[in-house]
Amino acid sequence: MKRTRLFQLTVLLLVVVAAVQVGYWIYDQQQRGAEKTTALTRLYDEQSAAARNLVAAGVSLERARAIFPDLYVSATQAALAPEHQAELQSDQQRRLTQYLWEGGFFLLVLWSCIGVIFAALRAETRVLNEQEQFLALVAHQFKTPLASLQLSLETMSLRQLPPERSRALMDRMLSDLTRMATMVGQVLDSSRLSHGRMELKSEPVQLDATINRIVSQYLERAQTDHISIESQVHSQLQVQSDPIAVDAVVRNVLENALAAVAPVGGGKVTLTARAVGEEIELAVRDSGIGFRPSDQPQLFRKFSRLNAGAGSSYYGTGLGLFIVQRLMQLSGGRVSASSEGLGRGAEFLLHWPRAVEPASS
Amino acid sequence: MSDAVYKVLVVEDDPHLAAGVVENLRAEGYEVDSVGDGRKAVEWFDTHSCDLIVLDVMLPGLDGFEVCSTLRGRGTTTPVLFLTARGDAADRIRGLEAGGDDYLAKPFHLQEFLLRVRAILRRWDWYRASARSTGSDVLKFSGNEVDFRAFRGRSWNGEIQELTEKEAMILKVLAEKPGEIVSREDLLEKVWGYDVFPSTRTVDNFILKLRKRFERDPANPSHFLTVWGVGYRFLCGDES
Repeated sequence: MKRTRLFQLTVLLLVVVAAVQVGYWIYDQQQRGAEKTTALTRLYDEQSAAARNLVAAGVSLERARAIFPDLYVSATQAALAPEHQAELQSDQQRRLTQYLWEGGFFLLVLWSCIGVIFAALRAETRVLNEQEQFLALVAHQFKTPLASLQLSLETMSLRQLPPERSRALMDRMLSDLTRMATMVGQVLDSSRLSHGRMELKSEPVQLDATINRIVSQYLERAQTDHISIESQVHSQLQVQSDPIAVDAVVRNVLENALAAVAPVGGGKVTLTARAVGEEIELAVRDSGIGFRPSDQPQLFRKFSRLNAGAGSSYYGTGLGLFIVQRLMQLSGGRVSASSEGLGRGAEFLLHWPRAVEPASS
Repeated sequence: MSDAVYKVLVVEDDPHLAAGVVENLRAEGYEVDSVGDGRKAVEWFDTHSCDLIVLDVMLPGLDGFEVCSTLRGRGTTTPVLFLTARGDAADRIRGLEAGGDDYLAKPFHLQEFLLRVRAILRRWDWYRASARSTGSDVLKFSGNEVDFRAFRGRSWNGEIQELTEKEAMILKVLAEKPGEIVSREDLLEKVWGYDVFPSTRTVDNFILKLRKRFERDPANPSHFLTVWGVGYRFLCGDES
């Protein structure tokens, strides 16, 4: 990256030098043109004086005109013929106009090049900054489960623990590892989605099977946190999307709901699906901490953690809802969220296109 | 350390980490309470008190720095040990400026954590004990008066001086050995312990603050004297 920047700066310097050089050339040409015109004018003045002298010395007008064809020679005067004078002036004017247009065009091209290079430099700096911030935030997110793991291991090595305490610590460590694995998955997904490297299939997906499978995986954790999960999804409902994307979206929205309910000491999460026109709608409601309606626009941004730490930090990376929104966009669907305020729960609405043909399963 | 059971408040929102810290502190014989939210931590002090706060920085409600500043603003002098995932120098300094006593970056070693907890409690034990052992909690010198318990003083010109805990502790260390040279390292060790600050220059800054508070001419001090290359000497009277 450093080398690219050095290269870009060198190109920029060259462009600036070239612009100065072109400017000098125009100036130089203009100067030379002016000098040439002056020399010609002086020559014609001398010729006019010579013609006048010849006429005064008795040479015939016809003879003098033959010697100086460019001059208008009469008995009393001799000067550059008006048509030649006009030609001389127009030639000077034409050259000036030509230089102005050509020089202007070159400068415009050079200016555009400089603009493009500057824009590229700015964009690269922004991307670099975003990457650095992303890395710092991701590293930061990993430190808490790492600290918990280290603490559990050092507790086991420092103290003589009864078997049930050791068992509890091991469960805690396994849970920390699961948490870190979830984070790694989310970081990878988010990175792929950010760079548009995820190609999604488009096929009918049975929504009830996906939801039932995911809910069953979260039941144990929900029970620990005193949360009940209810799902009402009709078996006929099929969405047109990528099965892996649907799985990731439902999983992340459910994770988010559980993380929102845990800090208030327990509650309820309900998943309800229905067909609405040409779409299938899945509503995920929770009785958790909610959010201010004014914070709604920030919900789906990377690392925007409105309730940072309020239990949401336990399993989250601040990437879950960003992943949900990108996956929904890529699969032709959409997601929205609403809450009546802090402490009043939240509702996430997911809309997928309805399946065009029945799922093979 | 005295035989009294120390009470520690753990403020950490991550349930696993909080449980680990609480269990280990209990195993060491401390009485431990824990909350998982910045605002609840501040509210906890409305009805409780403790000898040490182990405080996470990234907290819901109020962050750890805000919790610490709020408590200090209310006059709570309980020592604070910050536990945080952010461990760079700028954050450390921010934590200490907010009134923290020590700073430990996650992930941390359990034994180091327990050692730091012990060290902070020992320093405070020393501070309280020495305040009691001198017979009086009040130091008087050259028209100045400092109440070590109240962290408050009155300077020679009658101005009331609200001391920070660190200023009071530095003054205490110096006043314990009037006329003797106390090195910067000794001051760091006794008042902060460990490598909390990047340099001993921090001590110099605190001495400057004390001079401004209590010296008649801070540019030509007669109580807080610099011993070049070594440290400081405290003189009670105007004998210099």
